[in-house]
Amino acid sequence: MIIKSVDCQTISNIVYDVVIVGSGVAGAIVAKQLSEQGKTVLILEAGTSEGLTLEGYQNNIETFYGALNKNSNSPYPLNPNALSPTDNTYGYFQEKGVLPLSGSYTRIVGGTTRHWEGKTIRMLPEDFKLRTNYGHGLDWPISYDDLMPYYRKAEYEIGVAGDTEEQKEAGAEFIDGYVLPMKKLPPSFLDGIVRKGIDQIEEVTIGKENPETIKLKLSTFPQGRNSIPHPDYQRPGYTDDQLIKDNFIPEGVASVHPVEYGERCQGNANCVPICPVQAKYDARRTLSTIAFPEKVHLLSQAVATQVDINPENGRVTAINYKQYKNISSSEYTVGTARGRLFVLAANAVENAKLMLASNLPSTSGMMGCNLMDHPYLLSWALLPTTKIAGTLRGPQVTSGLSTFRKGDFRKEQCAFAMSIHNDGWGWSGTGATDILQDAVDKKHKYGAELRNELITRISQQLLLDFMCELPANSSNRVTVDPQYKDQLGNYRPVIHYNVPDYCKKTMAYARKLSLQIFESLGAKDYSHYDKSDPAYFEYENEGYFFRGGNHFAGTHVMGTTKNNSVVDRNLRSWDHENLYLVGGGSMPSIGSSNTTLTLAALSFLASEQMLRDLKA
Amino acid sequence: MDIDTPDLMEYFLNFSAAVTGFSRFDLLGTGQASLYFSTIEGIIGGEIFRELLQTFHELYVRANSENDASILTEGITDEILMSGKLGPIASNIIKLWYSATWYQLPDPWREKFGARQNDTSFVVSPYAYPEGLLWQAIGVNPPGAKAPGYASWQYPPSVRLTSPKN
Repeated sequence: MIIKSVDCQTISNIVYDVVIVGSGVAGAIVAKQLSEQGKTVLILEAGTSEGLTLEGYQNNIETFYGALNKNSNSPYPLNPNALSPTDNTYGYFQEKGVLPLSGSYTRIVGGTTRHWEGKTIRMLPEDFKLRTNYGHGLDWPISYDDLMPYYRKAEYEIGVAGDTEEQKEAGAEFIDGYVLPMKKLPPSFLDGIVRKGIDQIEEVTIGKENPETIKLKLSTFPQGRNSIPHPDYQRPGYTDDQLIKDNFIPEGVASVHPVEYGERCQGNANCVPICPVQAKYDARRTLSTIAFPEKVHLLSQAVATQVDINPENGRVTAINYKQYKNISSSEYTVGTARGRLFVLAANAVENAKLMLASNLPSTSGMMGCNLMDHPYLLSWALLPTTKIAGTLRGPQVTSGLSTFRKGDFRKEQCAFAMSIHNDGWGWSGTGATDILQDAVDKKHKYGAELRNELITRISQQLLLDFMCELPANSSNRVTVDPQYKDQLGNYRPVIHYNVPDYCKKTMAYARKLSLQIFESLGAKDYSHYDKSDPAYFEYENEGYFFRGGNHFAGTHVMGTTKNNSVVDRNLRSWDHENLYLVGGGSMPSIGSSNTTLTLAALSFLASEQMLRDLKA
Repeated sequence: MDIDTPDLMEYFLNFSAAVTGFSRFDLLGTGQASLYFSTIEGIIGGEIFRELLQTFHELYVRANSENDASILTEGITDEILMSGKLGPIASNIIKLWYSATWYQLPDPWREKFGARQNDTSFVVSPYAYPEGLLWQAIGVNPPGAKAPGYASWQYPPSVRLTSPKN
């Protein structure tokens, strides 16, 4: 049974316990947690909701198959009423910064988990005190220990597959007896080839003032993707540190409806943008496993436009929205959603945009500030043909280096994690079909020679990405400007973004490290950072570009007082006591972890305080 | 030109086998032959398509009767791929089989031989995409379809380099 889709008429007569803006992973978790405690919930979703049904999902796959440009949002029809940034393809962001934020998110039911890759990495304990430990960015008002129980809940909800011991080596802490719900996804054949080169290098140094020696060792990444359940798994209990022995059963895999809810990963090699067998978690899975779906109403195609407050006490009284009839028409009606509690779960950029559009910059003035993302340095090469690597097989990433996620070098330069791309060079701008075009059109290859050419130039591709930590900085920000609106008259985000030398230094370091790895593999470097690229920059006389990571965060940071932050340790707005801002926007730092797992954990944490508020 | 013309469809398959490096068996196995045939015809028109196929067929017949494969391989290069008129169409046919995508013909061709109304870049059908020969050529599944199975990616690939025959 799935949650109930309603119309404007229905909701106009109801005061909900909770009104949530956004049906992505954060909003879905809050909806599930609160409805299961008997609360009535309304979710306003700016995008469309066909994907909730299997038929709708199949349509998304078909759209992807038929798309000429198979970008991260290609399974979803372009929706001019609720645009999604797609690596600048649609120009939704108004980029005003020195460098572009770029990247993408998805405004559709299930949010950006509809195209995420699925890495689910915990942040490290020291990431929560970035300012205190290393003098950069911001500290969190809570610690890793505070978040640990919620990490376990998030890992259960998402269904995380990973090697707990490897994560401990990387610096994450786990309570005794705990393992991740499913076993790690097996490393790829390509990983095995790269491992040999990395093992030859053994160790490297990083940092100039206090050089540290780092031993290189490949490890796998935890992923929100169905593998094989771990027999030792114990699920979160009813108190913080309690674990209950309970076989983990991935949603779908062992049920009578695997096709509808997700099978085991089959190696479709298409994690981004869409897994045809739903082995990858997306937030629809949370929405479709709500115990009391009749408690949750979903109003889709409803773009939140304005948060109304009572000026006397700051409490939110309503959220106004525009509901459009369909994506091919800009016709809309306006409506109002009323409730006792309000939750913005529309992602870091959209949450801040909505608050600023409502003229609610917060007492701290930090609404929209501290915009973060992980800039990625890419480096790519061709492996020697003495051994065919068979690139383009398996989940997009299985292994990488987590050895640079911690260390005192973080005083000088940012932490990073490296991934080996099983999906080849695509992210660099040269996909398999680009190689095909070049081979046929420019090199006039045909027949058997063409086949060999393609094996040589695609099956041997190696792309390494280096995901760099970007500390919070108030000048990186989202703002609104009446000049820039979409066709419904809603604001488009205006972005001011730059990458500091603190990160560029690491990108330069990563580039050198990649060349060292290529050399030990006998691989030929093909990286080219074109000066005309909007994300091109120079550092110490070398040119590079970076790619956006879509890990938008920081725009409504949590902190210790109303003067240094937008929300408190429970993600509740300091200024509006019945308003929560959930999602990556509340994170004061992002470490070298993809943000979804942490923001999912925070959504569980915030849900507990919401329940306490509703009881009061 | 009639799409059901058996001769031209034969020529098309023989031509496609020669330029893609895949057998007729593989090509027919995609289930896309008649869709591709009608797509090409619909875009460039019957006349020029027929010229391409007949040029190929004459080479094919000569190569067979004289039992000299080089007539075909050299002819494909000299008379077809290097031809300003037929070359870009032949290249497009290779790319069509490999990626289920028709790419807009290059500007010089459009200027010289006339821009065709339907000549835009597009995937000819959603379910042609998984049948693209590119994926088979490099021994992988089309991303998002025909999955090889859990953990298959940890084993060596099935594909290997061959010694070119043509």
